[in-house]
Amino acid sequence: MPSLRASFLARLLLLALLVPVCAQATARVETPRVRAELLAYAPEGVAAGKPVWLGLQLQHQPHWHTYWKNPGDSGLPTTLAWTLPAGASAGEIDWPAPRPLPFGPLVNYGYEDTVLLPVPLTLSEAPASGGLPVKLQADWLVCKEECIPESGEFDLLLPNGGVLDQHRAAFEAALAARPQALANASAEVRVEGDTLVATIAGLPATLAGSELRLLPETEGLIEHAQAIQQSWQDGRWQAQVPLSPQRSASPERLPMVLLAGDSAFRVEAPVSGWKALGTASAAAPAPAPAPGAAPPTGIGFAAGLLLALAGGALLNLMPCVFPILSLKVLGFARHAGARRELAVGGFAYTAGVILSFLALAGALIALRAGGEQLGWGFQLQEPVFVAALALLFTLIGLNLAGVFELRTLLPGSAAGWQLQHPAADAFLTGVLAVAVASPCTAPFMGAALGFAFTLPGAQTLLIFAALGLGLALPYLLASLLPPVARAMPRPGAWMARLRTVMAFPMFATVLWLLWVLGVQAGVNGVIGLLGLLLAVSFAAWAWAQPGRSRWWLGTPAVALLAAALAWSLPGLRAQPAPAATTAGWETWSPERVAALRAAGQPVFVDFTAAWCVTCQVNKRTTLADAAVLEEFRRAGVALLRADWTSRDASITAALDGLGRSGVPVYALYPADAGTPQLLTELLSAGEIRSALANLK
Amino acid sequence: MKTVRLPLFALCASLMLPAPAFSAATVGQPAPDFTASGTDGKRHSLADYRGKYVVMEWVNPGCPFVRKHYSSGNMQTTQQEATRAGAVWLTINSTAKSSGDYLSAADMGQWMSEQKAAATATLLDTDGKVGMAYGAKTTPHMYIIDPQGKLIYAGAIDSKPSAKVEDIATATNYVRTSLQEALAGKPVSQANTKAYGCSVKYEG
Repeated sequence: MPSLRASFLARLLLLALLVPVCAQATARVETPRVRAELLAYAPEGVAAGKPVWLGLQLQHQPHWHTYWKNPGDSGLPTTLAWTLPAGASAGEIDWPAPRPLPFGPLVNYGYEDTVLLPVPLTLSEAPASGGLPVKLQADWLVCKEECIPESGEFDLLLPNGGVLDQHRAAFEAALAARPQALANASAEVRVEGDTLVATIAGLPATLAGSELRLLPETEGLIEHAQAIQQSWQDGRWQAQVPLSPQRSASPERLPMVLLAGDSAFRVEAPVSGWKALGTASAAAPAPAPAPGAAPPTGIGFAAGLLLALAGGALLNLMPCVFPILSLKVLGFARHAGARRELAVGGFAYTAGVILSFLALAGALIALRAGGEQLGWGFQLQEPVFVAALALLFTLIGLNLAGVFELRTLLPGSAAGWQLQHPAADAFLTGVLAVAVASPCTAPFMGAALGFAFTLPGAQTLLIFAALGLGLALPYLLASLLPPVARAMPRPGAWMARLRTVMAFPMFATVLWLLWVLGVQAGVNGVIGLLGLLLAVSFAAWAWAQPGRSRWWLGTPAVALLAAALAWSLPGLRAQPAPAATTAGWETWSPERVAALRAAGQPVFVDFTAAWCVTCQVNKRTTLADAAVLEEFRRAGVALLRADWTSRDASITAALDGLGRSGVPVYALYPADAGTPQLLTELLSAGEIRSALANLK
Repeated sequence: MKTVRLPLFALCASLMLPAPAFSAATVGQPAPDFTASGTDGKRHSLADYRGKYVVMEWVNPGCPFVRKHYSSGNMQTTQQEATRAGAVWLTINSTAKSSGDYLSAADMGQWMSEQKAAATATLLDTDGKVGMAYGAKTTPHMYIIDPQGKLIYAGAIDSKPSAKVEDIATATNYVRTSLQEALAGKPVSQANTKAYGCSVKYEG
């Protein structure tokens, strides 16, 4: 019996595999110029969460061609409109690199011979048992000398679960023909008069010295037929590309494809220096910055320092600094009545803050010089750093709660040193303050930081020092002013209670860090970290036991800790999680912003991150306010969210383009090519209302 | 630094490529003057129409995008509206003699009357000089010049780049909206758009 059942199952499987072969007979359209066919490729089966590709294959008669997403001087890109059952959605065409096709004094970009336009298919649920019906309406313009608009309707039934790989070679070739994204390249485009000056670093070394062709993905921008001037210097490629005198676009980001012989690369660059497009009246509407939003660049150095100082001081009011507030309260309580200790502590804290800011800034400058796309708060984009902070805060919390005392853990001399040097303690509190507070930006701070990164190294560091001074200033003043010391109650039993209470804000901070890690590394990362925290807590308690039980308990505890560390570390790696979208909010991409604005819709972008507490507060208050959302809806504004929780070069570049280097940033882009309005970091409904009024 | 850079730029300048094929008619700047012969046998100059709005339309009856706007009557309606408002409409064919789409003056004139077109004049630009001066790349490609001779619009006929007639109903006709804005004394809100259609069949 079992063998009979097995053979029946095998036959059923075979049947399932044969279905697609039969279904594809209806998936072909032939014209005298093109043979078009809808193909599918599912190497791991047609199932939820597996890679599934659809693709339109166009086989052109000799000398006929169809077009790329930017068709060049004339022509139209091929468009695909899908009809799919619920639970299935098709993405955009993942265009293979096109060829320039000169025609008289004009140039087009497109494909001759055979091309397969692949489209990723996302299945959020398993297809129905009868399979997944795919319907495609495709439109393409096929030209030789003359042009013929053609279209076709295609039907394909994908088998439920079945592996489809009879077109593996075609799909693999199409995917390999896509321009290669360059992770290490950094590109920048500047408008100079009527040319675009593109500077690209980090191209493959093999390209050095060779001549490249630049194809912008944005239409209506450059004179395609005019040759560009290009040069190589120190491994960087620079090109001067003539702008079209009748250009119809002024994109803030320019995705472009570079052709070098048979290879193609894709880079995206922020574009700076646009002047308003020519209009019939010479006067272009002046950009209207929102009240409170400082100009992105061009502020003087002295003004930058003042902004940084004010921003640093205001950082104390941001929700992200709350955990530090409790540590400082404790510090004040500990030295209540002792004015000299208070003053020493104040200076030590200030030194700790400023030096940490300088260290962070130095690291950031060095990494950016190395071509990394990083911005302010970058350290929290690293899951291992988040885990380390959670570990540290757990230990501080356990210490405050009285689970262990430092003098029982450390050798006597070290503990004594800590007691004899309260200044060192204050200094370390300053370091901790920066570690926790730095991911947030406060009002004025965004502009100051954005400006800082346009300056030479030494001046950048001075801006950061001013920022640190601003952050530390309230405590420094409080520790120096006699009335504050006098207001402190006398030391007593209340201090022990206060200390225990302060353990709870520390644990709350751990909770927040766990959530950040959850967004970055998923549930496995969180469980790994929780296991680690448990092992650390046990080890701290065990080593604090008196006498011999310390060795009894401590030795296995340390072994447990080592095991937990080995177990959890692999989980602490950033995984690109599927973007969790809130109803009414779309996931941000520069292309989406450009498309919406081109379609006449203003766009509001929330640049946010899980580790940015200020961002989260705004997201849950002002940006979740039904009245505010209604105002957005009435003004026809599209809402996009850019999540910078994990590293994302395109978001970093977009922030750079806005003159910022950290989150939160709230930008309202008008529908036309006008300058975006930047709102303040502590967002209010009134501010959004007046920004929306400015749109009109 | 500067001393290193200067020779480099000088080198670039010496490698300058031949002059661009297209001249730069630019919105906001004076429109280049031209003279071309019409299907009516007369010579027409832009200077003849100073003091009036002038709409220029690049045409090629062999192009499906041109046929989209003529078979639907969209181009003729736009021509009537413009000329009734006092504007001059010049339809220009820059197709070279070597192209399969080339039409003689008589054939072009006949096609326009068959279409019941309402253009003021239909001009033949067989050598492509007018088209090159304006940077006309597609058929259709549209331009508007104000009474002072300044270019105020360059680009597409409408906002939906497709060859489908049914898209006309839902598209914004840029020539209509731009001309209306200009006649109302307002600046043209979208003065540059991406023209779409077939390539102009220039010589070469």
